[in-house]
Amino acid sequence: MAFRTVDDVEAALRAADYLPDRGLATALFLATALEKPVLLEGEAGVGKTEAAKALARAQGARLIRLQCYEGLDVAHAVYEWNYTRQLLHIRAAQEGGVSEEELFGPAFLIRRPLLEAVEADEPVVLLVDEIDRADEEFEAFLLEILSDFQITIPELGTITARRRPVVVLTSNRTRELHDALKRRCLFHWIDHPSVEREVEIVELKVPGIADRLAREAAALVQGLRGLDLEKPPGVAETIDWAQALTALGIEEVDEEVVATTLGSLLKVRDDLDAVRDGRLGELVADARVAARG
Amino acid sequence: MSDRTLLHGLVAFGRALREQGVEVGPGRMVEAARALDAVGLRDRRDVYFALRQTLLAHRDELELFDGLFGGWGASGASSEPVARPVVETRREGRARSDGDRTPDGAQALGTSSLELLRRRDFATLDEAELAELRRLLLDLGRTRPRRRSRRLRPSPTGGTLDLRRVVRRSMRSGGELVELPMRARKVVPRKLVVLCDVSGSMAPYARALLLFLHATAQSGHVEAFAFGTRLARLTGDLATRDPEVALERVTSPVVDWGSGTRIGASLAQFNDEYGRRALSRGAVVVIASDGWERDDPALIGHEMARLARAAYAIVWVNPLKGTPGYEPLALGMRAALPYVDRFLPGHNLESLEGLAGVLVGIERRHAA
Repeated sequence: MAFRTVDDVEAALRAADYLPDRGLATALFLATALEKPVLLEGEAGVGKTEAAKALARAQGARLIRLQCYEGLDVAHAVYEWNYTRQLLHIRAAQEGGVSEEELFGPAFLIRRPLLEAVEADEPVVLLVDEIDRADEEFEAFLLEILSDFQITIPELGTITARRRPVVVLTSNRTRELHDALKRRCLFHWIDHPSVEREVEIVELKVPGIADRLAREAAALVQGLRGLDLEKPPGVAETIDWAQALTALGIEEVDEEVVATTLGSLLKVRDDLDAVRDGRLGELVADARVAARG
Repeated sequence: MSDRTLLHGLVAFGRALREQGVEVGPGRMVEAARALDAVGLRDRRDVYFALRQTLLAHRDELELFDGLFGGWGASGASSEPVARPVVETRREGRARSDGDRTPDGAQALGTSSLELLRRRDFATLDEAELAELRRLLLDLGRTRPRRRSRRLRPSPTGGTLDLRRVVRRSMRSGGELVELPMRARKVVPRKLVVLCDVSGSMAPYARALLLFLHATAQSGHVEAFAFGTRLARLTGDLATRDPEVALERVTSPVVDWGSGTRIGASLAQFNDEYGRRALSRGAVVVIASDGWERDDPALIGHEMARLARAAYAIVWVNPLKGTPGYEPLALGMRAALPYVDRFLPGHNLESLEGLAGVLVGIERRHAA
């Protein structure tokens, strides 16, 4: 499905249970309109990966995901020959012998995400997740693929994509990416959502949550993000926490409730200690005031 | 706004960004025009994001962009560049006198055995000892950090089974495995980037370190820089074969010998001019400095963070660390330490041997 305006993208993502801000909607719109890969950067937990998944749902496209890690290579990103099957096949056909064409043919090929995305006939959203974790050599290789959507397999020849997949790359910025790769992409920095949007997100993801609790939860998380924490809570943590509160039958937050459930929001020991021993009372009071206002 | 006015405005906006140091090539300008065409001009937010997403590639540039965008579009074409926030500089007197490092005359007179020489503070060496040092450093410099390349090549001794070759050979032998071809990752030298403080407080050590650098540079893949109040690239100079000539030429480009150190500003210069061009990417970066900063140490922290994102590992060599009871009290040193993988002394030959050893086996602190 092609989008005609940024509004279309916003509406389609909302229908797919994802609430984008205007900037993200624009970035995804441009990715489809200009047929350029889009690089989403931002802190962990701002919804980068989720955005790509929602885009696939919204477009009725197939999501193909390549999770990057240090040491990721062509055999795991593009294709590999099924050597076990090849050897068995040679043994079975011992008498007549096996031709090379047969052995290195499509039947013995294991398709990995990038090849799948290039070969696909249906619309595809290709998610290259956490590209900053892959080695720089892989980045260079990816750049080649992104420029012409072609993959060459020595034994089979060159495969060219019939339709360009929408490509979404994400990075947590653990290292700087090559400028060449960045030049190839649209670049969008995702911030944590505003309080209003986060309330909306919580209400969407935790059906039946009291309006007041949703607002208090969002305000408190916002307060936590203002502290100097090692790992500030992301949207996913807010949702987890709101779910936990709802499951516990809690209707409004107070210091005790927050102190006992803080573990769903802060995952680093030092952060937990700092907040519990420090300004928790103040944070809760502020959040309650903000939620009322 | 007509298309023509818009295009003029866009060009002016691109120029304003360029003037502020953002790399906006013609390719990006074309993309920006296409993006504006796609989103339309109805909603100012869309115009903002369309330009931001096509013209920028770094988060650091957002603030600058926002400042410029505020002044653009309203009047169509005019864009008054917003002045860059001036980095506040504080002049601080050096808290340390250089008097406590005067060479010990009695010691320098005696002929040094190798062992003694290895442990002697560089600040106390005489000419003859420096000559001996040069010879030793040449050996030392030949050891380099290595990384495994992604390219695999046949290896009789191991690694992983080369299955593609197994299959091909089996075709000939009818499925019998006569031998198992193996392959392993090639090991190639890791890039080494060295930034050496040559300011007054570092002068006695800088000399020995530069000798070490010179020896290291002979094996290639090394980028060397000297800094004081600014940064100068030395790679070309170190390529000279004669150490004496190299040393002489190394010191002359950094004309500010003895005039105080601006570590943060020098690191910023490195990140801006060379980091962008991927010089530090995947490299082991060695910084040699005592961490005495003339300006605001906060800048050091900021620039170290940038450097740490690109580099494979950062080694900080501080000659003061060789002093018993040393604690990193210098503000600049403290600002830098959170980003340092290995913190080493560098005051004598023994400690440089330690450095060479660390460089060979160094592992990334933040294993992904």
